[in-house]
Formats: sequence, C-alpha cells, structure tokens
Amino acid sequence: MIEFKGISKDFGDVRALEEVSLKIHEGEILGLVGPNGSGKSTLFKTMLGIIRPSGGSVLVNSEELTEKKWKDFKKKIGYMPERVSFYDNLTGEETLQLFAGVKGGSLSVIPEILKKVGLESASGRKVGGYSKGMRQRLNFAQALLSDPDILVLDEPTSGLDPVGTKEFYNILADVRMRKKLTVILSSHILAEIEDRIDRVAIMKLGKLTAVGSLEELYRGLNLPLKIYITVKDRNARLEDVLSSEGAKDIGYKDGYLTASIQKEDKIKILGAIMQMKESFTDISLREPNLEEVFFGIH
Amino acid sequence: MVFTDAMKAIAKKELSDKLKSRWVLVIAAGFAVFTIVISYFGGATSGVTGFRSMEATIASLTSLVTYFIPILALTLGGGIIADERDKGTLDIYLASPITVAELISGKFLGLAIALTISTLSGLGIPGVLLLINLGMESFLSYLLFILNSLILGVIFLSVSFVISVLFIERARVIAFTVFLWLFFAILYDLGLIGLLVVTKGAVNNDIFSALLILNPVDVYRILNFLSIGELKVFLGLVSVELPGYMRASILWGISALWIVLPLTASYRLFKRRYLV
Repeated sequence: MIEFKGISKDFGDVRALEEVSLKIHEGEILGLVGPNGSGKSTLFKTMLGIIRPSGGSVLVNSEELTEKKWKDFKKKIGYMPERVSFYDNLTGEETLQLFAGVKGGSLSVIPEILKKVGLESASGRKVGGYSKGMRQRLNFAQALLSDPDILVLDEPTSGLDPVGTKEFYNILADVRMRKKLTVILSSHILAEIEDRIDRVAIMKLGKLTAVGSLEELYRGLNLPLKIYITVKDRNARLEDVLSSEGAKDIGYKDGYLTASIQKEDKIKILGAIMQMKESFTDISLREPNLEEVFFGIH
Repeated sequence: MVFTDAMKAIAKKELSDKLKSRWVLVIAAGFAVFTIVISYFGGATSGVTGFRSMEATIASLTSLVTYFIPILALTLGGGIIADERDKGTLDIYLASPITVAELISGKFLGLAIALTISTLSGLGIPGVLLLINLGMESFLSYLLFILNSLILGVIFLSVSFVISVLFIERARVIAFTVFLWLFFAILYDLGLIGLLVVTKGAVNNDIFSALLILNPVDVYRILNFLSIGELKVFLGLVSVELPGYMRASILWGISALWIVLPLTASYRLFKRRYLV
C-alpha cells in the first residue's frame, strides 16, 4: 500500500499541494481527477521522487521512503508521463532498448511488450514517422519495461481519438489480466475513466476534496438519481404525480420525461407512476456519473 | 564512478544519435578539409604553397581549432537537457531508478565520444598526409596538438552542460552559447590586450600569465606553444615570456579542472532545478 501522509508542496509563494493524505491500496485502480493546476501531476511527482515535498511523507507498506529506499521503489513503478514525443531518429525498438537499459530491465521482454501494445509491426520504424496514438502506445510500452507492480499514468489518453482511447484501455485491461497491477491514473475526461476505476480521488487547488468509490461519493453528496420515462406524448398528469412525490427538475424532450429523484424516494415514486402505466412505454433509472459527482463536490 | 548499465545505455543513445544524423561524419569531413587546406595553403600569403614545417602547420591549425572546437562543443551539449524536457523524456529518466550523476555522465560520455571521433578523424586523417610529407621527426608535436584539441573540445562540452541545465528556452540556450564562445575565443584575449594597452604594459608577468590560464582557450594555445617551441610567434598573444610553472603537466591539470568543475556544477544545478 502507498500512503501519502500530509503532503504539502510550496513553489515559492505558491502552495501546490496542501496536506494531502491518501492511501492507495494494492491492486486497485485509482482515478485522480481535478481541473488543470489542481496538483495532480505534482502529487504524482512526489510519489516518483521527482518533487520533494515541503511537508509530509510518502510511505510504502508503512515504511517511509527515504533517499536510499527511493531507488528500489522506483524499480517497481512504471511511469507514463502526459506528453512524450520521444526521439524521432530512433526506432520504436531502439527507444525501448534505451529505456530498458536505463531502468535495468531485460532486453528480452521488448518483443513481447511491443506485441502487447500493438507496435510489433512498427518496431523497426523510426518514431519520427509514428502517429500520436503510436507514440502514446510506445509511452505505455516504456512504462511496462521493468515489469512494474505499480503503474502511474498521467493523462494517458490525452490527445487520442475515441478509437485510440478505447484501444489504450483494452491494452491496460489486458495487461492487468496477466498481472494484478496497482494503477493510478489521472484524466480530465471523466466519462472515460468512470467505468474503469475502483476509486476516485478529487483534487482542487492542491487539496484533496474527496476520495472513495463513485457510489460512496454520490451517496455522501446525496446526489439524486435521474429517471427517464418514455412517453407517447407530453403528459401533464404524470408530471404532476412526479412533482407531488418529490421529484425535481422535471422536463420533457424528444419523447422522454426526465426528473431527478432522491434514492430513498425511488420505490415510492416508481409505485406512484406504475399506477399510470398506460401513459408510458418504458422507464429507466440512472445513477449519478463521475461528472455529476465532480461538479457536486466543486 | 562506476560505469553503470544505465550510463552505458544513455551514452550509447547519444553517440548513435550523432552517428545516425551524420553529425560526426560532417564535422570530421569539415575538419579534414580545413586541415588539409590550411596545411597546404597556409604559407600562400608569403608566396609559398605546399606542406611547410610541422610547427607552422600546428600554429595555423591552432587558430582554426580555437574558433571551431569551442562553438562545436558548446552547441553539441548546450540544448541536451532542454531537448529532453521538450520531448517529455526527462520525466521518464527522473522517474527511473538512476541517479542524476548517471544521467549527466551518460550523456556527457556519449557526446564526448562523438566529438572525439569527429575531431580525431578530422585532424588525424590529414595527419597521415603530414606524416608522409614532413616525416616522423616532428610528428609527436602533431599528436600532442590532436590530444590538446580533444581536451579543448571536452572542456567546452563540459561548459555546455551548465548552459543546458541553466536555460530551458532554446533561444536563451543559443544566445548564451554564442556569448560564451565569443567571450572565451575572442573577448577574453581582447580584454587582456586592452589591459596591456591601458597599463602600457606595466602588468606583472606572473599576473598576466595567471590571467591567461583562466581561459581554457589560452591554456590550449599555451600547450601547443610549448610543443612547437621556437615558432611561438605564430600564436600571437601567448607569445610572452611564460613563468617556469607553466609546464604541460600543470596546464593539463588546469584543463582537467575545466572539465570536472563545470560538470560538477551542472550536476548540482540540475538537482536544484529539476529535483525540487
């Protein structure tokens, strides 16, 4: 387990991190979200030993990371920075050979990793001719070189199109199927990560404002569920029933009647509208998504 | 320091980069052409062409090298850290289980080898021509000249690493590189001449000599002057009476300091700048 204990970081007069305490459990995927400048990358870098905290400490399995222990800890981490263009005149394979040498990894794993990230056929081509998506895959490949236990992914799909994004997460899922890695990933595309993370940590202005599973967070925030009722025509009576049972934000668009309801009112409201089942053809309920949780907190 | 696998990987990358981009080949060819032209036509102003004495050739080549090698070495290493930062690869290095010393030493070593290969080929291949035409007798002076030229290159490569760590923006890297080159290759000696003019030559010889050896370009000139002896007149400013302590061993020691100190400074500055 990795633990940030009261981490603060000042850059001159600017406080980039303020008393951040966070535990990352072994084998989980933690999403770190927050607007630009919220301190996500700074927090990553304190864990990687690139930035020294002004206060607090980083613990791994309850042991504080000291200068001496950092080198060993780094051997267990695969880090994928946000934007890496690599060296145009090296091939994909040569790039991985360089970083394998730097990280003390074995060269024999390179063909397997290239295959894993789908760059097998392009491994002999110069990186200068790679697309953005291919460079991101190469970036991911270098993070996997030392057979890490922990993956730190800083905006891993930044700049990728939807196909590239999907491919990336498929590769990550495939890698995690073979080895139960701890993954910490940051993203500002909330919809993209919400189904892929176990817990989320939300940051704002250098502070950790919330941590937990999506369900824990929306329950804590008392966020409403969204109800969608497919109707043939706009029905004032149905709207009145919803309103009288405590539903909020009632609206109609494109054959759907929508409303926000509290979780504890769910059964009561469903029971009431089922009395009018001739008025609609379908009902669906949606729990709050990460975006709603994020904006509920901010 | 032990030559680690990480240093080897980084050095190999830097070297292969310069070999692949044909930097080494172009510089070596350029040097070779200049060396042959200067060796053959160096006496043309006095109506003589052809290979003259080795001493005269070294004196002419010393002037060439004092301008070319510093700027080459400064541009070679000046943007090395800024490049890594721009490419985003610096964070990968910093997050890897290597020390800053391994990173800087690896890069320095790779570039130093590239510079050595190009200088050695550029000056060495024409050296064979000189050997054939001028004989073995004074060839040792030429070998010493090559050695001193290699050392001069490594000194300025070391200085370039300080620039590389100090400046992030490429424009500043270029501006400071040009300034340092102008300072060491031209302005410093102009300043010394100015000092002599202003004081009407009343500067103590020991102080003047000490000021000379603060500039690695002058150290290089003196080293070559010591190897060619009586033709010191070709070397201009350093053609003054040198104190007895200015032996080659002392000057090589000073050169070694000029390599070690900037490199150590770049290591310390790097830690202060990038590991905050």
